[in-house]
Amino acid sequence: MSRMEQLCEYLDLAAFRERLIASNLANVDTPGYRTRDINFEGEMRRAVAQAGDTAAKPRVFEVSGLIERPDGNNVNLDREGLLLAKTQLQFRLGVDLLRQEFQRISAAVKEGS
Amino acid sequence: MNLLGVLDISGSALTAERQRAEVLASNLANAQTTRTAKGGPYRRQMVVFKTHQAGSSRFAGVLSGFDDRFGQGVEVTRVVADPTPPVQRYEPAHPDADSQGYVSYPAINPIEEMVNLMGAARSYEVNIAAVQATKNMISASLEILS
Repeated sequence: MSRMEQLCEYLDLAAFRERLIASNLANVDTPGYRTRDINFEGEMRRAVAQAGDTAAKPRVFEVSGLIERPDGNNVNLDREGLLLAKTQLQFRLGVDLLRQEFQRISAAVKEGS
Repeated sequence: MNLLGVLDISGSALTAERQRAEVLASNLANAQTTRTAKGGPYRRQMVVFKTHQAGSSRFAGVLSGFDDRFGQGVEVTRVVADPTPPVQRYEPAHPDADSQGYVSYPAINPIEEMVNLMGAARSYEVNIAAVQATKNMISASLEILS
């Protein structure tokens, strides 16, 4: 798996996690809703190992060990808020690295001409 | 991966929380209403939240496959009336008093409604934060091109 493919996978996973966090936050008042998440590091490792196997779905699981409210909802605002910030920064990092990668290619093209 | 779809999820929560706030405001406004179109005092209203499969019903949602299936928004499925019986107050001079002189008032506790209203406002804010975060990610991804 090339560096660029790895970065694309990284961005995909970050965007996917963002979707789950948005979903958790949207359902903060829905009775019976359970917090869902993915194992980011695990999924990233799996994606790198299974090089070329496109569109492998990340495994979504219900997070255990969170305090549950009487209505059966276990969304923790602090957890989701922190994850939101973290995922945003991870995404930014991925974008910056991908940009550098493109700039390197563009530099090579320019130097060659 | 469709980041614009994430905005739909947060947007559904904004709509639902605003609807909740509207119903709560209506409860507060009608805390003393003894006359309604249906007859009898105003009944306290409550919203019922339910997870909502974002985009699954739309063609684009089906086309884009797996990633839309994991995003769940929220929607108000029903607005139900609180079955709590009305509060009876002895006011013989009131035009809506019954033969014994009791007037039925809605069983609404303004403190409870205010607390719920604050909860709705906080949930709204939290989803605004999620929208901001997603917007930042989208604009960051546009920088790849620059």
